[in-house]
Amino acid sequence: MEFEAVIGLEIHVELNCATKMFCDCPNRPGDEPNVNTCPTCLWFPGAVPRLSSEALEKASLLCLALGGELQSRSAFDQKVYYYPDLPKGYQLSQAHLPLSRGGGIEVRDEKERIRKLRIHHIHMEEDVAKLVHEMEGRTPISLVDFNRAGAPLVEIVTEPDFRSPHEAMEFLKALRVQVRYAGASECSMENGTMRVDANISIRPAGTTAMNTKVEVKNMNSIRHVGDAIAYEIARQSASVQAGEDVVLHTRLWDPDRKVTLPMRAKFEGPCIPDPVVPLIELSEEWIEEMRARLPEMPAARASRFVEQYGLSGDEAAYLSSDPDLAGFFEALIGHGVAVRSGMHWLTTQLLPAVRDRQLALSNCRVTPERFAALLRMLEKEEINANAAREVLLQLFDGDAPPEEIVASRGFRQISDPTALASMVDKVIEDNPSAVADYRRGESKALGFLIGRVMQSSGGKANPKMIRGLLVKNLESGSRTAGA
Amino acid sequence: MDSVFFYRNSKPAGGEDGALQELKIALQPNVSVTGWPATAGSNALAGFTALQDATVVDRLRRAGASLCGYTVMSEFGFGLGGSSAGEAVRRKIADAELVVDMLGESRLAAARADACGFKPSYGLISRFGIIGLIPSMECPGIVSGNVRQIRAILEAVAGPDELDFSLPDEEPLDFSPQEIDPQKTTLGFVPELVGGLSGQQQNKFMSALEFLRKGGFKVRESRLPDFSRFALVHRIVGSVEASSCAGRYDSVRYGPRAVGAKNWNEMYILSRAIAFGSLVKSYLFQGAFFQFERYEAYDNACRIRAGLLAEMRQLHSEADFLVIPTAPGENLDAVSLEETYRMFDFMAFANVTGQPALYMPSVGGGGIQIVGPRRSDPDLLALGESILHAGRGGN
Repeated sequence: MEFEAVIGLEIHVELNCATKMFCDCPNRPGDEPNVNTCPTCLWFPGAVPRLSSEALEKASLLCLALGGELQSRSAFDQKVYYYPDLPKGYQLSQAHLPLSRGGGIEVRDEKERIRKLRIHHIHMEEDVAKLVHEMEGRTPISLVDFNRAGAPLVEIVTEPDFRSPHEAMEFLKALRVQVRYAGASECSMENGTMRVDANISIRPAGTTAMNTKVEVKNMNSIRHVGDAIAYEIARQSASVQAGEDVVLHTRLWDPDRKVTLPMRAKFEGPCIPDPVVPLIELSEEWIEEMRARLPEMPAARASRFVEQYGLSGDEAAYLSSDPDLAGFFEALIGHGVAVRSGMHWLTTQLLPAVRDRQLALSNCRVTPERFAALLRMLEKEEINANAAREVLLQLFDGDAPPEEIVASRGFRQISDPTALASMVDKVIEDNPSAVADYRRGESKALGFLIGRVMQSSGGKANPKMIRGLLVKNLESGSRTAGA
Repeated sequence: MDSVFFYRNSKPAGGEDGALQELKIALQPNVSVTGWPATAGSNALAGFTALQDATVVDRLRRAGASLCGYTVMSEFGFGLGGSSAGEAVRRKIADAELVVDMLGESRLAAARADACGFKPSYGLISRFGIIGLIPSMECPGIVSGNVRQIRAILEAVAGPDELDFSLPDEEPLDFSPQEIDPQKTTLGFVPELVGGLSGQQQNKFMSALEFLRKGGFKVRESRLPDFSRFALVHRIVGSVEASSCAGRYDSVRYGPRAVGAKNWNEMYILSRAIAFGSLVKSYLFQGAFFQFERYEAYDNACRIRAGLLAEMRQLHSEADFLVIPTAPGENLDAVSLEETYRMFDFMAFANVTGQPALYMPSVGGGGIQIVGPRRSDPDLLALGESILHAGRGGN
């Protein structure tokens, strides 16, 4: 029998707010353990939670960026369970009245068809503390770090619209782009600012049944999400083929063995309305204000790039996939760089160099202004491409303007026809066999000769002019007749 | 130390000026004062010292009051078992005492002390620093020998607080003294409640009504056949909130930790077993039962609560204030949940609805409560002053 998968995702995104959700503690979970704590996030007696307006705003921006409909009334509930990572016996979460309902993202499936994958709702919740289990001699001990307790999260719950690992991965990539544009989170699965659980069931292909699902956790990259879903579909198909029932439970992805393994069931408690955190009422005006704060989103930006700069659809989509990249590109154009060379040099030279240095475009020394100055010199043929590449590397190491580096390091291109002519003559004289090859029609020989001239100029000769001079000399043959 | 105080402030000096500068005010140890042993009467907080001042404490000090210490309280202020609430006022060691009112404790403590007791409207006073148990029902109440003092204290502590966002965004109330015109004031009484009183209590209550009629007030019947539902709703919703609220006492960050546990789960269970007394334990069990096993009953209780609030609003469209008898129970040291709730039968409704409620001793010979709509606190206190004034004139 042929099976198809029914997949839904639950995605936790940690908002990049300055403070925690219900107190003023810094939202920096990675600091020394338990330094970012206060009587409120440790839930000392008498503590009163105060919902952060920044958390509400960022969560709302995220919802709007994902096409969600912000609800005029939403509220926090207490998700009751007892665990040492939870400092008060319940987690504040929105179970009954979520911040946003609906929304979704369009992705391309394996056959390049557009698929709209729907979001059921998005709610806010606070993160819990981090547990570290160690051995003290032979005694197992559990340490609790409350830095993360109370950190602002949203949970995005999708409809079970996904049919393949590919769709889940495409959805997550697109979601990440949208949320980054909204400025609400970095959405890095590697750093734990995005955590994904997948609910997976299978059914005979073409039917509409909703069968018992299995939840898979512990994937720390988008690729792992795809791998885990693929594994789980295969595992469930095999077990149904073998006549076994799928049992509702939770499994953990083991990235080393590339398998999912059953985990001990976590106790799920009830959700009761929290009597302390006030009801959240959003006015139409406030929602419009948030909408106005959203930047131009990736799809709109990509079509504008096609329209305005004549980029291809793929190029525009690529540049728009990262707000920093798209912003950098537009800044280059704004500083007078031509579209084609800007696009080319940004994607083939600058980005790989930034990645090699494990930097980010937004925080390296090569600002759009400096990079543009370099590219303008290239366009004006004051330097050649070789020199531009050299100067680019030096831009990473200091703050000197590229013009200064070109001047002080002698990168300026040699475009003096007399000087170039004598170099060309010398190379023709020294390489008779290559000259002969060219004249026999082997065009490759021209490249060799250009290389020789470049070499003799220390890489500074204007390659266009050399080519012109070489061709002229070789075609006329006058100056080399004696050879 | 006597049986009244659990902790005495060695430097109770009041402020140089302010509306409360003459007043000595006692607190219970569920109101945080930095450096004081704010144990809330529970072993769960044995040895705990408050890290911050509650907003009410800050405001009392700013108004010049001197804080004389913590009185002995029941565990988490639930009921009055073992509590000395009201005693400091009765013995005139303090002019007033703050008693958090979750079932009617401030009013019943006043009855015991032959003083006045006032539970303000819900949402009028910041709960920051109050070690509570039933967030949607509780509110710091004020026990004092006279209503004028209650008004001065309430005026000092009420109002918006940036540390407590749960306070509704409402205009501050005007507490300036006002005249009450009895001719224009309708007082309702609930006949269903009178039926539940003993003969002697009925007589006292009827003579109180007679006294008010003679004072010129319009007195009329206000039917409330659903009155018994208030206690039921309180028991279900209150216990569920208490169960959540006490979830923090897990011995992980503070509080007594039992030794000998083999894992954290056992550590929880053993530590919580030594943390709570039997009355609170049974309340928490009850709440956990509704949370985990009978959620729909809790859900219904919340719905019924909304209905009761609407019924009360309806009553207040016919009567400005309601006159309510006091609790019939005499046994203030109730040990079971049943007994505790029975003790507060005539009081807990105001915690369910968030209305202000004033207990006054000896009105025409008996103690009564008067309740008004939410945020009618200044009017209610003015009414109380005028009734007591008339009472003194009449005696």
